[in-house]
Amino acid sequence: MIEFLGEVAAWFADPATWSGRDGIPVRLWEHLWISGVSLAAAVAIGLPLGLAIGHTGRGARAVVAIANIGRAVPSLGLMGLAFILLLPFGLGVGPLPTIIALTALGIPPIVVNAYVGLREVDRELVEAARGMGMRAGEILGRVEIPIALPVILAGVRTSAVQIVATATLAAAIGGGTLGQIIYIGFNVGDQVRIFGAALVVAALSIGTEIAFGALQRAATSPGLRDRPYVPTEPAQVGRSGGEIGMP
Amino acid sequence: MRTHRTFVLGAALLALVVSACSPGEDESPDASTGADGSQAADLPTLTVGSAGFWESAVVAEIYAQALEDAGFTVERQLEQGARDVTHPALVDGQIDLMPEYIGGYLAVTYGGEPTPDIDESLAALREALEADGLVAFEPTPGTDADGFAVRQETAEELELETMSDLAEVADQLTWGVAQECAENPNCGLGLERVYGIDFASLDVETLGACSTAIAEALNANNIGVAQVCTTQPEIAGFNLVLLEDDLGLAPAQNIVPVVRSEIVDESGDLLESTLNAVSALLTTEELTNLGAAVILNGESYEDAAAQWLADNGL
Repeated sequence: MIEFLGEVAAWFADPATWSGRDGIPVRLWEHLWISGVSLAAAVAIGLPLGLAIGHTGRGARAVVAIANIGRAVPSLGLMGLAFILLLPFGLGVGPLPTIIALTALGIPPIVVNAYVGLREVDRELVEAARGMGMRAGEILGRVEIPIALPVILAGVRTSAVQIVATATLAAAIGGGTLGQIIYIGFNVGDQVRIFGAALVVAALSIGTEIAFGALQRAATSPGLRDRPYVPTEPAQVGRSGGEIGMP
Repeated sequence: MRTHRTFVLGAALLALVVSACSPGEDESPDASTGADGSQAADLPTLTVGSAGFWESAVVAEIYAQALEDAGFTVERQLEQGARDVTHPALVDGQIDLMPEYIGGYLAVTYGGEPTPDIDESLAALREALEADGLVAFEPTPGTDADGFAVRQETAEELELETMSDLAEVADQLTWGVAQECAENPNCGLGLERVYGIDFASLDVETLGACSTAIAEALNANNIGVAQVCTTQPEIAGFNLVLLEDDLGLAPAQNIVPVVRSEIVDESGDLLESTLNAVSALLTTEELTNLGAAVILNGESYEDAAAQWLADNGL
């Protein structure tokens, strides 16, 4: 085992691993842009859908259905289907079938979280905003979304990690990515390469999780962050606590 | 308390289901169908294995049925995977017999350098096998090697019949090859060495080797030339043109039954003669027809094997 890990370390140290069409830099870049495009597409499709359903409150059943289908559909199967359907257009071989499958994979968490995030916004705040004369669009943009943003971004984060991890499959149909190095390893029986490339994918997935987590925290309104409430007025002796809710 | 009991019951049920679904061997007919009942008692029980693709499985099934007809008791462990699984299984005795390809086995497992010369390559393979306690019997006339195919229109338009013809127009086409082609002596490295094709400068897409996907991609004009296995049924199925390997890039890829020497010692001549009789009739055309039966017509390995043995009077 130690010996094997030593071989993996040697593989990382070998300059050949970092050069050429199947080297880490080329395939890593491919992995990143395919994941990025897929995530962008998933957000572009899923976010408006989730916000619409969440704001109106209608379509809860549709949301549940989307979530369940998203969890059940096998990405490789979807990729294969896209491959067959795109062949007549000359687009079967390459990144497109993978991007389609990854986008489909990424949509459900974004839709569900957008819906849940909006639903969890205190109804009284929405009522208050409506009472102040805000139109629906203003309510959505200035009250609902800012409050729901942490949950919405959590959905984007989940999608991002799933997409980055699954993009590896692209290598099966000419899509490349870090999966290419893993497939080569499988085909020539080189376990060191399989393990090494898999490590890079794992590191990338974890990195994505951390990066989006930081983004989520940064986008959370300060009033919603997890801090204990500190009153600015000193407590008044003799006042009943039930009315004003003493800390 | 009720939740706890339900949980325990559920866990027990799950454990029962999981243990019942253990990966086991295929069900195989135990009763020997040999004519000589007394002989069956002396013959060892054999486990026949195969690699994870159709050709290996159907040839293994043919061997298995032929041996059963001869009086052996045979178990099967087909479609075990690639050589990094099947070779240790053979050496350790988990399987006793495997159909293997001379060139591929010698190069991939033993790091040898097979040539298109079958005698030379077989001798080198046998020497390597001996150290692992394995024996290879007589090879089939049929072979299955890495080849390159184009569409009919491409062949007519560019006047392609041989690999040398292809080498002249190599940079005009998109090549569909397996992921590891660049470092494979039968593919990228061989194209350079034998046909002088500068592989690194080619327009290349990678797909699974010998797969239906790569044949479909070629047929749909997403690629201009595809790396195929020479007995791949899609070649006939899509009316593709397999280019002739005129300068001998492909090594000898005839099939040999590889057996553990212990089993050979226990079996006498019957094992060898039965397997050799089968192998002698497996030409490239027969292998391709078996592929059509199994892949294009969707027949099971058992049915295709039984049909082939019947058709060939075995």
